[in-house]
Amino acid sequence: MEKTMSETRQKTFTCQLCGLSSPFTYVGQKPPNTRAIVLLEECFVTQDPFSPDKEKFLVLGSTCSVCSMCVCVGSDCSLFYTKRFCMQCVSKHLDQFPRQIQAELAKKKQSSKAAVS
Amino acid sequence: MDSERGRDSRSWDWDSPQCRAQLDEIFFRRHDYIQAGSQEHREFWAFLDRFQRFKTKRDMSAAGAKEDRKDGRKTGAGALDLGLPEEYDARYRINVSVCTGDVEERLGKSEHKGRRQRASGPGSQEISDCRLALLHFLDFSQRQSFGKLAKLRREQKNLPIFQYRDRIVELVRKHPVVVVAGDTGCGKSTQVPQYLLSAGFNHIGCTQPRRIACISLAKRVSFESLNLYGSKVGYQIRFETTRTPATKLLFLTEGLLLRQIQQDRTLAQYQVLIVDEVHERHLHCDFLLGVLRSLLAEQPDLRLILMSATINIKLFSDYFNGAPVLQVPGRLFPIQVIYQPIPAEEQPSRSEKLDPRPYLRILQGIDQRYPPEERGDLLIFLSGVAEISTIQEACQIYGTHTRRWIVFDISPPGVRKCIISTNIAETSVTIDGVRFVVDSGKVKEMSFDPKAKMQRLQEFWISRASSEQRKGRAGRTGPGVCYRLYAESDYDAFAPYPVPEIHRVALDSLILQMKSMCLGDPLSFVFIDPPPAASIQTAVTYLKQQGALDGRGELTSIGSLLAQLPVDVVIGKMLVLGSLFKLVDPVLTVAAALSVQSPFLRSAQHNPDCATARQPLNSNHGDPFTLLNTFNAWVEVKGERGGGSRKWCRRRGLEEQRLYEMVNLRRQFKELLRSHGLLESEHSAPPGSDRGQRREKLAERKKLHQLKRDHEQQESSRRKVLRMDEGQDGEFSSGSDTEGGGRGKKDQEGLGQNVDIQEVKFKLRHNVSELQEAASVSQDMSSRQQALLKLLLCRGLYPQLALPDEHNTTRKDSDQVFHTKNKQGVVIHPTSVFASDPEVLQVPEDDTREMGPDKRDSSRHQLLAFVTLLETNKPYLSNCVRVPALQALLLVANSVDSNADCTRLVVDGWLELELREAEDALKVLSTALNLRAEWERLLLAQLGGSTMGGAAVQGVSRKVMEKLSEGLVRFLLYTEVSYSLRRLTAFQTQNLYIGPLSQSEGSHTSAPDVDPLFPGVEAKPDPIKGGLRVTSFFNYNCLADSKDLYSECLRTFWTCPNCDLYMPLTPLERMQHEASCRPAGEQQQPEEEPGGKASSSSVSSLTRVYHCDVCDEDLSLTSTEILKHKRQHMYSVK
Repeated sequence: MEKTMSETRQKTFTCQLCGLSSPFTYVGQKPPNTRAIVLLEECFVTQDPFSPDKEKFLVLGSTCSVCSMCVCVGSDCSLFYTKRFCMQCVSKHLDQFPRQIQAELAKKKQSSKAAVS
Repeated sequence: MDSERGRDSRSWDWDSPQCRAQLDEIFFRRHDYIQAGSQEHREFWAFLDRFQRFKTKRDMSAAGAKEDRKDGRKTGAGALDLGLPEEYDARYRINVSVCTGDVEERLGKSEHKGRRQRASGPGSQEISDCRLALLHFLDFSQRQSFGKLAKLRREQKNLPIFQYRDRIVELVRKHPVVVVAGDTGCGKSTQVPQYLLSAGFNHIGCTQPRRIACISLAKRVSFESLNLYGSKVGYQIRFETTRTPATKLLFLTEGLLLRQIQQDRTLAQYQVLIVDEVHERHLHCDFLLGVLRSLLAEQPDLRLILMSATINIKLFSDYFNGAPVLQVPGRLFPIQVIYQPIPAEEQPSRSEKLDPRPYLRILQGIDQRYPPEERGDLLIFLSGVAEISTIQEACQIYGTHTRRWIVFDISPPGVRKCIISTNIAETSVTIDGVRFVVDSGKVKEMSFDPKAKMQRLQEFWISRASSEQRKGRAGRTGPGVCYRLYAESDYDAFAPYPVPEIHRVALDSLILQMKSMCLGDPLSFVFIDPPPAASIQTAVTYLKQQGALDGRGELTSIGSLLAQLPVDVVIGKMLVLGSLFKLVDPVLTVAAALSVQSPFLRSAQHNPDCATARQPLNSNHGDPFTLLNTFNAWVEVKGERGGGSRKWCRRRGLEEQRLYEMVNLRRQFKELLRSHGLLESEHSAPPGSDRGQRREKLAERKKLHQLKRDHEQQESSRRKVLRMDEGQDGEFSSGSDTEGGGRGKKDQEGLGQNVDIQEVKFKLRHNVSELQEAASVSQDMSSRQQALLKLLLCRGLYPQLALPDEHNTTRKDSDQVFHTKNKQGVVIHPTSVFASDPEVLQVPEDDTREMGPDKRDSSRHQLLAFVTLLETNKPYLSNCVRVPALQALLLVANSVDSNADCTRLVVDGWLELELREAEDALKVLSTALNLRAEWERLLLAQLGGSTMGGAAVQGVSRKVMEKLSEGLVRFLLYTEVSYSLRRLTAFQTQNLYIGPLSQSEGSHTSAPDVDPLFPGVEAKPDPIKGGLRVTSFFNYNCLADSKDLYSECLRTFWTCPNCDLYMPLTPLERMQHEASCRPAGEQQQPEEEPGGKASSSSVSSLTRVYHCDVCDEDLSLTSTEILKHKRQHMYSVK
């Protein structure tokens, strides 16, 4: 963790699914100045650009717990359910996810289809 | 869960502030991620309310489905087991955890001990409920912020320019100059700088033609580059900057970059320069391109990017050696063009208002043809503000009648919006949702008439390029329609491109700036589109007249100072002149006031309440004095009531924004004068400021800074609301080229309910008590100081003088006519004080004596000095000040010609003054010559001192200066000489002068004993006019005159009031004597001066070699010493 924190040079996080890219300032589970807050996965973190408060963080993404692909936290690219799963792995193992999630994804798929057609 | 809580929660109440405070102690302590009292803390509790309501609802609806817990999830044989929990919980979807174990434990212990007191404290259930809410809240805020980021990136990706991202960076790396062309909305202004930033370029400057664009682009780009709260992206305009050492991308105005180049030709602070909107072809921009082109050769590492709409791109590329062009195709849907020329009976005549009928027909047509469900707004292009308000009125009536249109407002569904604009919306403003465009085909442009020395605001047909741009605005969001209110044949006859500004305006300031940047001969400078040589020549002549350039066309010391002032030459001159006398404060104010737009709102002109409230501010001496009074009164109000000034302004129909501009400009002027040593530096410690006061002041400043920061933060989040507020009171933003105009209004409206940010900025920037002091100084101005101030203004404004027509007394107030040298029949602008009170300009009846049909003798003739002569529907003079004619002319004019006995004077070849008494005439002329010589000497010493020694050296001692001002005032106020004043006819000017005498005659008449009247100037025969050139401005006896030719040699007895000399002298001899003879008391003055080292050194620097013909010796003397020396001879002669 020490090592990543000392790296001040701008590094860029890029989602391997949607291509979203943004510089990050920290990788790990305990971003600076977060006190009681702990992340439950190793995340790419940046300072929240939309908050005037410099100490607010923003999680950009992390690696898929199954395939280790680097994905952003956007709902089109990944899903967190005790662990991070990229959407590809989610659809591959959809049957292992709870009903609520399955339903949700099915609904989303339908609405995005409707939007396309 | 609920039942559990109900049993256990004792008197726990989620809504009670006490209960919440107890949870705050666990989750939101002083060092926690979210702290009690912060914005987010408030948001959390609001979120908790919603969260609990949502949970209750869900729990109830899900109660029946609970047994279905173990659902049909199965792991396919051989597939990877993800190890997911059996039971679904939304909690598992959050990747954050909050550990407060330590706090809880500590609290738990104390709770245990003091069970009784904490009986109502949170139980473990409440704590875990709160924690769960907090987790969801954190997750929610993360999603929100990430959503914004994702949306931003999506939008960036969707811009047409995005696919050229790498190509642009590559071109910039390879080529010193790159042209990026793309139409509005392709994203070039916001994206190109970002592409460069992320490609690793570090010091990027991006110029904009308008200040407001600098501010809004800096905001947008800092947001997009995720640096909204940092200073990586900043802007710099005349009075404001957000630039810090961390700034990597700076948006600035073209004018400001030019000033920076003036100071540092190497442009070391920039790695890349982007010049945006080059197609607009503003004067500054064309010039900037020329300067950069010449600098690029010396700076091989500098990169230059020109950004343009797709207009005449080749011109720019060719100008920079065939620089590569990257053209971004715009998103353009097909547009149907409909030509609807205005029928003859609806064509507006010159003075008439625009006929709205053709425009209303189009609105009607749209209503008939397109169903209201099909959205799409209308954009109308008109030429000016007056036209806009005419059409706006008509459209509004139509809109309220049909309920299908809204003019300048947010439109509800089924209602179309109608936007009315000038050419500004062609390329510079992005307006979404436009489907219909109405193009009047007209544009109003400022042009300059060098012959009449007059600016003109005229309506022209637009160019084909503008026409196409206007059409293009209809096809941005879908297929559109463009109605052209002209025929296709008109279109074909349009010029291909608009006339660049450099071809239309006076080039005075440009030439001055070129000279100060050492760019060589302006005629050979390689402009992208060179202005006509005549136009450059006019400017050079004008600058010579103004004393900014010398005979060889080089900068004078006053000229180099003027080049650094961001104002008109005439106003710069006032500043320099004012610094000599003790009139700095009022002159600073007047100069600032004359450099900004008038604070007097036109709309309040006809409001009787405003007129009454304004009355005490008016001065019948002239508009600059009214402005001075207004500014001073405003400063007074600011000092006493602070924020109350806004109301004060509103009551008087004043635009407060202009007053803020004035006070900022005034400060800039003051700093400039000080840095040029023309103003003593301020006393370091303000009197009576002890430590306590200082601390108080510091605390107040801190508070103000905080207010400013708060405002800046709020502004970004309130943006949308502001836009909706705009135009709610039926007003419209004029959308003309005047920068910042709309912004002031926005600021005021948006902030109506809380902080007046202008007031905060004002307090941060200015010392109110110091301003008040300055204001009270100029408020208590005596009539003598007023007279002197007038003279300074007049000398600054010269040759912008106007003569009242001789028949004005018989005309109505509104029909008063005036004449300038080059333009006859001009009128006073209705906003001027003289428009409502023209009597003060007329010669009082009892004072006149009719001497003939057009000759009226009086000692009270007056002239108007004016700031601008602008022709709209009539040629108007604005910002006028009245001055006594004879005195002012003799003191400021560049050319005064006389006849032999000096009773007839012709000034600048157009004004003739005839004095009744030869005795008076000589006296007046002689006094004026002496005053001018002294004034000139002191001015040079002042300027010389400033260039030599910096701030410390004061070239002129106070005593000498006071004596001069005393003399000037006495001359201005107490010269009681009767004379007539008239304008020469064209015929009269043809045969005005005697003309040169033949060589032999010449040497005969100019007797060898005619010493130079003023040291340094040889009196010699004038080669064109004839007569004797006595000083640079005075030509004696060159007027072809009916009087006898020998009066030149005629000696009359005369007694010198100073030295008791009594002898017969010719007029010239007498003037010559007066120039050198001083009253006995003054003789010793130079020695008496308590000058100290500084003044003596500056005096010694003024010595020069003087050859005395009597002693036949070369002497090194100062001018005063020369006078003394000559006087010595005079006595010996006697």
